[in-house]
Amino acid sequence: MNDVELFAAPVFELGPVAITSTVITTWGIMILTWLCAALFSYRIRLSPGAAQTALEGIVSAMETAIANVAPQHTQKLLPFIGSLWIFLVLANLSGLIPGVHSPTRDISATAALAILVFFSTHWFGIREQGLKNYLRHYLRPSPILLPFHIISELTRTVALAVRLFGNMMSLEMAAMLILLVAGFLVPVPILMLHIIEALVQAYIFGMLALIYVAGGLQSQTLRQRKKQGDSHA
Amino acid sequence: MELNWSTFVLEIVNFLVLIWILQRFIYKPVLKIITQRRAEIEKQSADAQCLHEDATNLKKQYQNRLNDWDQERQLARDNLNKEIENERIRQLDELQRERVQEREKIKTAEERRYIETVREIEHQALRQGAQFAARLLNIASGPELETRLISLLIEELNALAPHKVSLLQEHWGEAPGSITVCSVYPISEGQKKLLETALAKTIGQTLPVNYTQEPELVAGLRITIGAWVLQTNVRDELKGFEEFARVAR
Repeated sequence: MNDVELFAAPVFELGPVAITSTVITTWGIMILTWLCAALFSYRIRLSPGAAQTALEGIVSAMETAIANVAPQHTQKLLPFIGSLWIFLVLANLSGLIPGVHSPTRDISATAALAILVFFSTHWFGIREQGLKNYLRHYLRPSPILLPFHIISELTRTVALAVRLFGNMMSLEMAAMLILLVAGFLVPVPILMLHIIEALVQAYIFGMLALIYVAGGLQSQTLRQRKKQGDSHA
Repeated sequence: MELNWSTFVLEIVNFLVLIWILQRFIYKPVLKIITQRRAEIEKQSADAQCLHEDATNLKKQYQNRLNDWDQERQLARDNLNKEIENERIRQLDELQRERVQEREKIKTAEERRYIETVREIEHQALRQGAQFAARLLNIASGPELETRLISLLIEELNALAPHKVSLLQEHWGEAPGSITVCSVYPISEGQKKLLETALAKTIGQTLPVNYTQEPELVAGLRITIGAWVLQTNVRDELKGFEEFARVAR
């Protein structure tokens, strides 16, 4: 159990760019997703079959989950949040394939996703409210809280990356340790746990991302509603 | 544990590309098809709602029409019942009137028949009585009866009131030449004298009297004095009975 096993090592290099197994697995997931999606979009019909019904169910479930948090921005958030859920489920579950490591056990991948969530929060917030209004919410309720807001933004992004990375890496390590200690078929229950953990972690990451982005989108809206409520009172 | 910047950047790019792929091949088509389906469902729902409203309106119209029909039917039935009742009452009245008329007719016919029967019985009784009396007189007639009848005649003539005698003499007309006395049996001399005396007293003069015999008289006399005929015999009495019976019929 060395660094190579714990962390993704470069498989090959394209000039200055080192291609790790994480990237290759991600590409595999992307190709698989693209093929399935292309096939699906080619065969999509108004009267759905079983596969189309399942996929529509998944999309509708994601849409409903987003609508429960940010009902006014469902269509806007669905591509980003939905893609997070789909990618994370596939990435987390890819660790079950023998010889393939889950991309999410690489801190570089989870950090990349967390950074995307970080920038997406500000991107959606600024697009919705404007730069001035968006930045103003860091000064509320008091400008004194600005440093805390900034620390909060950074730490929650780091926590987002580290939580997913830590859970997935520890899961793989636990399975590997049990395999080394106990034998060939003993880690099977752990693999079952892997499936549940993969789904749960994907859901948590996506839901947190959704809450952060929705928070950035709706901070101004909530403030305006509060003002209106106070004036009516 | 250190961050691999190449992986970091590539993962960002990969994820952005994945978002595009999913947006291009999954989200847009699925949301589009869901939207189309929702639109289709809403259209069908709206059509169904329209159909439902049309059906409700039709049902309401039909219900109203049924109610109108029911009312018209009830009205027609009431009118018909009223007409039937009136017709029944009219026919009953007519029947009652006819029955009363019929009863009256029957009563009248019965009364007429009763009267006829009573009259027939009376007539029959009279006829039988006349026949019986004729037969009885035929059987019982004889010289004694004739003698008695002559005596009665003489008594009657002698007992005539003077004004009656004068009334007879006034209606006498032309004075007769003789008096004819018909009898069934020969009259005794004593009775002849008494009779001639009574006749002379009655007519106020003495005329010759011719005595003849006529057995058809059964018993009694027939006295002819000119145009005046005095009947005191059984045959004439029986004829009188017959006349009475004919008149009574």
